[in-house]
Amino acid sequence: MNPLLALFAREMRLAWAGGGGAAGPAAFNLAALSLAPLAIGPAPEILTAAAPGIIAFAMLLSTLQSSERLFGEDAADGTLELYLLSGQGFTLVCLAKTLAFALAVFWPAPVIAALAGIAYGMSVEASLVLALGLALAAPGLALLAGFAGALAAGVKRAGLLIALIAAPLQVPLLVFAAGAGRAALDQTGTAGANLMLAAAVSLAALVLAPAGIAAALKARLE
Amino acid sequence: MISYLANPERFDRLARALIPWGWSLTVLLFAAGLPWALAFSPPDYQQSETVRIMYVHVPAAWLGLAAYAGLGVASFVYFVWRHNLADLAARAIAPVGAVFTALCLVTGALWGKPTWGAWWVWDARLTSMLVLLLLYLGYMALRAALEDERLAARAGAILAMAGLINLPVIKFSVDWWNTLHQPASVFRLDGPTIHASKLWPLSVMALAFTMLLATLILVRMRTLLLTRRAEALERARERRLEAVAREAGA
Repeated sequence: MNPLLALFAREMRLAWAGGGGAAGPAAFNLAALSLAPLAIGPAPEILTAAAPGIIAFAMLLSTLQSSERLFGEDAADGTLELYLLSGQGFTLVCLAKTLAFALAVFWPAPVIAALAGIAYGMSVEASLVLALGLALAAPGLALLAGFAGALAAGVKRAGLLIALIAAPLQVPLLVFAAGAGRAALDQTGTAGANLMLAAAVSLAALVLAPAGIAAALKARLE
Repeated sequence: MISYLANPERFDRLARALIPWGWSLTVLLFAAGLPWALAFSPPDYQQSETVRIMYVHVPAAWLGLAAYAGLGVASFVYFVWRHNLADLAARAIAPVGAVFTALCLVTGALWGKPTWGAWWVWDARLTSMLVLLLLYLGYMALRAALEDERLAARAGAILAMAGLINLPVIKFSVDWWNTLHQPASVFRLDGPTIHASKLWPLSVMALAFTMLLATLILVRMRTLLLTRRAEALERARERRLEAVAREAGA
């Protein structure tokens, strides 16, 4: 088997099994989504109008919450050195690892988003558009959170630092994913454009972030 | 030229010679610009006296952005050629740039209340400036959290370069999104649309703030250089004392 595919499968199994897999971020996502109406108040018109923003925001927070363990353990126990010595392109290794993590850990997020959209009073179509927007934004969100995680790997209380580093870089994804949901809700006809922009930012992150992650991890190993 | 200055000794001599000139020029420009901007320039036909906040707000915004561009360039130079002075420059620029960005946000809020009727609006320009401030804070927090100085320098350089993506978003945010903040009125292809009676004092104030920024960065770079040397001397002294203690014990 192709070594990168093997690595992808291994990381996927590890992320699936280790530390609760997708359950942690999903639970975090759900908790944030169920607390928001308690803070905002139950008025349906306000909740529906705010739903795309709240749902996208909760998803972003859940990527930050889980990115600490993406590189932290591998940096601590020497796995990264082995990856570097394996002869595979290190940038591709970082890409495979981050994508496997994103796929294994964040797959419930669009499902949660669709259900939450309906629970907040959005129409089914608008909820699905929002879920699609988040599915398109998820690789970008995970890659940028992974970039912050690689920079902060091994730091005490890395979680706080990761949030501060990643949040400004994730802004466009948040804007376009929530924007798609809002456009579908208000039927302004710009949902498609927002979806494409979210996908474009994700693709840009797919090209740039692995190089940044690899550079950050290499700086640590030198 | 870069490699000529990369020698810390040479840089220190140059900086020591330049800093008094920098301070003098800063004081002179402010002495000319402040009265011109705050007293002698005509009030605006729409905003009357409140327009004078512009003479602080606009230079602070330009320099907050310019400082981040400088941080990015210095980080790039350090990342590629490993010149320690470039890293020193990046470290020196970050807090100064953050203060200018914060100054821009605060003066913007003070200006927004009388003109827009609100301290803060979530429009594209304001929000992206706030994101710029967060980028500065994240950069400084990352450097402070990593104890290994060399690793902090490398990681900081990578983060600073990633943040550069935000700069064009801020610059063009008022053109891309039709929002409350007014579009660019000075740096335009078809020439500035701002009246000369305000453009001149604004230019003098912008120069004054630029000199202030440059001088502060030079002073901070020298301070960081001297701190590093003092720490090295301190470590050498401790090693000597330990060696003496070992010999006395043996």
